[in-house]
Amino acid sequence: TEWNASVWGKRREFTEHVEKIAELVKEKTDGEFTINVSYGGLSKPTENLDGISIGAFEMAQICAGYHEDKNPTLTAAELPFLGVKNLREEVAISDALYAHPAVQKDLERWNAQLLMSSPMPQYNLVGRGDPRSTVDAFNGMRVRATGGLGDAFKAVGAVPTSVASNEAYNAMESGVVDTVAFAPHAHLSFRTIDQADWWTENLNPGTVNCPIVVNKDAYAALSDAEREALEGSVDEAIDYYIETYGKLMERWEDVLEEKNIQKVEFSEEELAKFRDATQGIQDEWIAKMDAQGIPGQELLTTIKDALEEERASN
Amino acid sequence: MAGSLSVLSDESLLSRIDRRLYGLEKVMAFVAGAAVLGLMFLAVISVGGRNLFNAPLPGYVDWMELTMPLIAFLGISYAMRDGGHIRMDILIGQLRGRPLWAAEFVTTLVTLALIALLIWGSWAHFDRSFDCARPLCSADSTIDIGMPLWPAKIIVPICFSVLALRLVLQLWGYARAFAEGTDQPIAVPLVKSAAELAAEEAEHVQGADDGETTR
Amino acid sequence: MTPIEIGLWTTGFLFVLVLLGMRVAFAAGVAGLVGLVWIFWAKFGYAPDRFMQAITVAVKTAGQVPHSKIASQELSLIPTFILIGYLAYYAGLTKALFEAAKRWVGWLPGGMAVATVFATAGFAAVSGASVATSAVFARIAIPEMLKVGYDKRFAAGVVAAGGTLASLIPPSAILVIYAIIVEQDVGKLLLAGFIPGAFSAVVYASLIVILAMVMPRFGPPVGGFTWGERFASLPKALPIFFVIFIIIFFVYNPFGGDPFGTPTEGGALGAAVVFVMALVHGMKWHQLKDALLETAKLATMIFTIIWGVLIYVRFLGFADLPGAFSDWITSLEHSPMITLIMILLAYAVLGMFMDAIGMLLLTLPVVYPAVMALNGGEFVSAADSAFGMSGPMCAIWFGILVVKMAEFCLITPPIGLNCFVVAGVRPDLSVQDVFRGVTPFFIADAITIALLVAFPQIVLWLPSMA
Ligand code: NA
Ligand code: NA
Repeated sequence: TEWNASVWGKRREFTEHVEKIAELVKEKTDGEFTINVSYGGLSKPTENLDGISIGAFEMAQICAGYHEDKNPTLTAAELPFLGVKNLREEVAISDALYAHPAVQKDLERWNAQLLMSSPMPQYNLVGRGDPRSTVDAFNGMRVRATGGLGDAFKAVGAVPTSVASNEAYNAMESGVVDTVAFAPHAHLSFRTIDQADWWTENLNPGTVNCPIVVNKDAYAALSDAEREALEGSVDEAIDYYIETYGKLMERWEDVLEEKNIQKVEFSEEELAKFRDATQGIQDEWIAKMDAQGIPGQELLTTIKDALEEERASN
Repeated sequence: MAGSLSVLSDESLLSRIDRRLYGLEKVMAFVAGAAVLGLMFLAVISVGGRNLFNAPLPGYVDWMELTMPLIAFLGISYAMRDGGHIRMDILIGQLRGRPLWAAEFVTTLVTLALIALLIWGSWAHFDRSFDCARPLCSADSTIDIGMPLWPAKIIVPICFSVLALRLVLQLWGYARAFAEGTDQPIAVPLVKSAAELAAEEAEHVQGADDGETTR
Repeated sequence: MTPIEIGLWTTGFLFVLVLLGMRVAFAAGVAGLVGLVWIFWAKFGYAPDRFMQAITVAVKTAGQVPHSKIASQELSLIPTFILIGYLAYYAGLTKALFEAAKRWVGWLPGGMAVATVFATAGFAAVSGASVATSAVFARIAIPEMLKVGYDKRFAAGVVAAGGTLASLIPPSAILVIYAIIVEQDVGKLLLAGFIPGAFSAVVYASLIVILAMVMPRFGPPVGGFTWGERFASLPKALPIFFVIFIIIFFVYNPFGGDPFGTPTEGGALGAAVVFVMALVHGMKWHQLKDALLETAKLATMIFTIIWGVLIYVRFLGFADLPGAFSDWITSLEHSPMITLIMILLAYAVLGMFMDAIGMLLLTLPVVYPAVMALNGGEFVSAADSAFGMSGPMCAIWFGILVVKMAEFCLITPPIGLNCFVVAGVRPDLSVQDVFRGVTPFFIADAITIALLVAFPQIVLWLPSMA
């Protein structure tokens, strides 16, 4: 069996689990089952689900927030202030969410099923000029943050500004935005870090959720040995991903030091203030899901339980 | 206007349909042109709002992405009617009479087959984003402010359908020209030499020049 | 058959369709669709009962491309740049520029021709299209040159060559297209066009001055303007500088401060300025309507080729032909520089028979990755590279080189379009006359290209500052 996997950008930490699973699967099946990873050649990032649905390729990486209406249930994991602290916890809540029947039904519209997560650290702001270390300082701040994260900043008086990610550097340089919210790897690859004077170390407002999905029919057509090889490689691939991402975080610390970027730490009271201000977003989200017949509250509870369980087990 | 000279007409049914369709195509192309002006104003609003009022246009990028299909597709049949889509005519420019109409008929037929398939494909693309079981019938939305994408996606099969109609008319025109063995075909763009193209360009600039002097 | 063989056959098929005179956009779409069907059917082991399924998957894959590739904010630069050019006629900028250039440089040997070159270069700053620029100046500059006794063939040649500057000096639709296809920073590419464009103009002007001193075909210098008259000619040409100012300042702030916004905003604001100028200058409703229709037609033509070619590129993605071609190019025995020069020569030949935009769109998906591989890869550092520049810089340099090649082809026989346009505007001139008159300029262009290859700093200095 030969599969094509559609991801985007260049090979980086964010795609290492796909590369790893391809390698493992090939090994375990003695080359019977191969997965070719294509970086942008097969589809546009926002249309990977379309490609899966058509059957143009068998595996793909998607990000829920790129197209909320394609996968409303998955955006549960992108709500602000879920309280996730590290990549292990992110994996735990993603896995629990992916196992929920409502989520699986949501993805079924695209003939897709969820294979594994691509755990992302929390988004944090980089900014220019004087550091903003209180929630009040966000008032009037132009921030590049999309979707739910944008709503969160809006709730405390910031002005979410629409800029494509590849124009983020330009936008920051030209003062179109004052700050940009990305995960560390994106701050590095879109070079927003080169414009930064400061970085919020512990704001942790939320992140994006980017699962790896597979085409259901292609999955069903695998031989038992192949399916076993695929499923049996997920954990190892995720471990490898977290390990590589760990190295990136070490490099991130070096970059901050090298560029003399100030780490801004928010006090507990300030964080609580931000959290309280954004409480309405979760309620709105639940109401929106209810209107579509999606058990929003249940999905959030699933996430919270998974988080507690993960914490308890450590 | 540049281009309209390049298609001959008479009182036949074919020519009357051709001119009727041309009217529609022109309106569609004008909307496309107006959308370019729209993009311009969008930028003025975005830059002005940001710098004067600290109120950037929410979803500026999303709005641009929704406008682009209007510009790119509404004029497609208009351009086809006048032979505005470029090609390499170094070989076909040597042909005259029946062999020329036969060659044109074949390439037009292949183009029609492509467009027919793409109507199917682009409709499927639209259809995946359109689901009336969901709010606003939307099963796909823009990244920033979550606007439904289906209105932008349906533009493609609609414009391709008008283009298909145009291609059918051109097939009819070429078939008739072949049957008559004429060198004055109706309702199809004439093969223009580089010199004729240049004359047309000059024609357009002539109009522009008048604009400069009539103050 | 391997995917790469499928890729080669389908690419051959594409060139046959183009040769047969099928519209380039649709030829590319057909080739891409046929290739996709073939690839998927091959994947299904050519089982007859799965042929329909292969078609379905291929058609739906191809059917995504038109909308999804066109809905991009960067592409919005193309229609705004085209609109700027059309509106510039109505804003009365062409005559104002020529008059100003005449007063400032007319006193040089060959002064009227030098003025024409600088006026076309100035107009290039508001026009994205070379052919249109030649057409306008054929009307304005040739009569003035003939009046003072220029050889008419040479006068025509100056205008044909001067027009080509429009695609290097921003705004330039063709540079935007290049940036999109190769996925590089549009702003930096536009910025990179300034100096080579100005450099080309200076090479043209120097050539004219030298020729004017040794050959008798020229009229007398046009001097005697006072400084007051010179400065008086500037206000009318002011919008040009304003547009240049906006575009530069939205990409890069030369005074070391922050730029004002993003390139896409800059392009649209530039159009807005010229639009207001045209209104002030008395543009009528029917003229605006005409400008909008022409903009729509040209933009549609370009966008149609873009999505047509991108269907073909999507198929190439499944066939991985670009990868195979890169491997072949980098395995050649020649030095990378020889290979690059051969690629440029191939463009010179191809450009004799093809439209510039069609040529670049059809070839870049395969040629560009090969050139990048030749330099040592997309992310290579300057120190490890074959051409002594980093990956992104190589992308910019190669872009300017191929655009200059494409411009060069606008004045070379047998179908140098600018020459046809000039001959079309002037009934008293045959195409052969114009080709003869333009000959010195393709020597100038050959020199310019050689210098850009030998001294990449000319191209890279400005973008490396930004
Ligand atoms: Na230009
Ligand atoms: Na040529």
